[in-house]
Amino acid sequence: MRYKVLTVDDSKTVRIIVKKAFKPYDCEILEAANGVEGLAIAAKENPDLILLDVTMPVMDGVEMLTKLKSDAALKSIPVIMLTAEGGRDHVLKIAKIGVRDYLVKPFKEELLIEKCSRVIDLKPVNEGPAKAKSILDPADILVVEDKPAIVQQIQEGLKQTPWLVKGVSTQGEALDAITKQTPDLIIVSLSLPEETAFTLFRLIRTNVKTKYTPVFALVVKTETTQQQQAQTLGFSAIITKPIDVIDLEAKIAKAMNLDTSNRYYATEGQVMVMRLPEACSPAAMAEAATYLKPKFAEAVDAGINKVVIDIHFLKSLHMGIIKLLFQAMQTCRDLGMHFALVGNPQIVSECKGFEDTRGWTFYDSLDDAKANLGKNSAPQLAGALS
Amino acid sequence: MPAATEINEPLIRDFITRAVTHVFKTMTGREPLVSADTEALIGKPIPISDRPQIVGTVGFIGECNGLIYLHLDLAFARLCTGLLLGMNEVELDDAGDEVVNDAIGELTNMTVGSFKNGLCDAGHSCKLTIPSILRGTNFSIEPISSVTRHSYYFECGNHRLVADILIKQDD
Repeated sequence: MRYKVLTVDDSKTVRIIVKKAFKPYDCEILEAANGVEGLAIAAKENPDLILLDVTMPVMDGVEMLTKLKSDAALKSIPVIMLTAEGGRDHVLKIAKIGVRDYLVKPFKEELLIEKCSRVIDLKPVNEGPAKAKSILDPADILVVEDKPAIVQQIQEGLKQTPWLVKGVSTQGEALDAITKQTPDLIIVSLSLPEETAFTLFRLIRTNVKTKYTPVFALVVKTETTQQQQAQTLGFSAIITKPIDVIDLEAKIAKAMNLDTSNRYYATEGQVMVMRLPEACSPAAMAEAATYLKPKFAEAVDAGINKVVIDIHFLKSLHMGIIKLLFQAMQTCRDLGMHFALVGNPQIVSECKGFEDTRGWTFYDSLDDAKANLGKNSAPQLAGALS
Repeated sequence: MPAATEINEPLIRDFITRAVTHVFKTMTGREPLVSADTEALIGKPIPISDRPQIVGTVGFIGECNGLIYLHLDLAFARLCTGLLLGMNEVELDDAGDEVVNDAIGELTNMTVGSFKNGLCDAGHSCKLTIPSILRGTNFSIEPISSVTRHSYYFECGNHRLVADILIKQDD
């Protein structure tokens, strides 16, 4: 839902500043130069929030507010005063008429947004499917942990990714870092002194810039009470110590809604390569299966009709992998694609042990497979296996 | 309501210094500092500048009545407008004088508002008036005899800013 914010101020400058402040957020800014215009626009557009100045020609803000609050159709619209009129008595008098907040000029744009975000649920403009990033894109990860060894362990574990992992050790440092640059994901250690982790989590969630940022809790595996507390509070995921880096990477990718197809599918020249990793966990297989049909279809759409299924990184086979490979071969057949398999001696040997895979033919290397694709009748092989 | 504090020169100086520095620092990121010349210029007329000037004016009326003029040279006014609105020189040229006038009017409104809020909290309830702008070269503003005048000088980089305060004396 796109929010409507009405700014009522005789100063075009203030209206421009308000528009500028809201630009990164998905909302429409309506403008009025005095109370009369403000009431007319409020009645016509029914805004979700009104920012109201006091001193204006034609009709001032106090009169507009009074009329607004006495109109049954308009009185529920929340109003935040944005004015240079800030004496204590004056503020109290206006507050009695009914305002949600009172911001005295001069003001920082960040403060205006913070106050407004307490009234309406501001969302960044880019949020949604358009923001989908790939696993190959850089991202900033902030780790709030007072034990440098743990930060180092995470940095070391994720060093093969394009992600920049920054460590800070206190709540203050974390808030400073967040203010300077909004991270894509935050990991907070629950072992920080006292209730720091939970306090920090609440602050992150009340900050309009980070309210949708994934926040992971980092906790010792046996600390079940803390884990439950973190889940209740709404942490995006729980990471237990000792840290399983592969699991952490997968959770990060999922939380950031990253396109991970590049882990399994790549176009190399005129060939689509499907590659299964050494650690082919159930999660990895599910991920590879999700992208299988779309990626193959995408390749066909781009004029590619050759596929190499590379499983030479695998150390052993199991039924889950065999099922996935059958699915891949069937997809190739459905799309009229030629395919070839690349394996290692261990995999080749294991394949001979299963009735369904006994007839599979493997190449030793990707280059061999690419060179021979189309020469041998690969779809026939798929037919023999089905 | 608390007993009203007497409006004397140190109080006025304190309020205006806070107001000018706070408003310009918050809205433009530039912090004017009290000029070293201020003491020497007290009681003297504001020197007439031969450079184009913009003067923003906002009054306050109520238990205490007065008017504050904020004098800026045009270059400083354009700089402040650009910083305030995130506009470069070319965009400012395209936008025209009206945008600079409005921006200086608003900076004056905020400055006088901050000053006036100090007066209100000191027991002198008053309200702001709508801003107006004067533009020109080689001009001076003269008060009528029934007001007291306090002029304060600020420096911001190579620019000078003058806050000229006229307060109507009690009848």
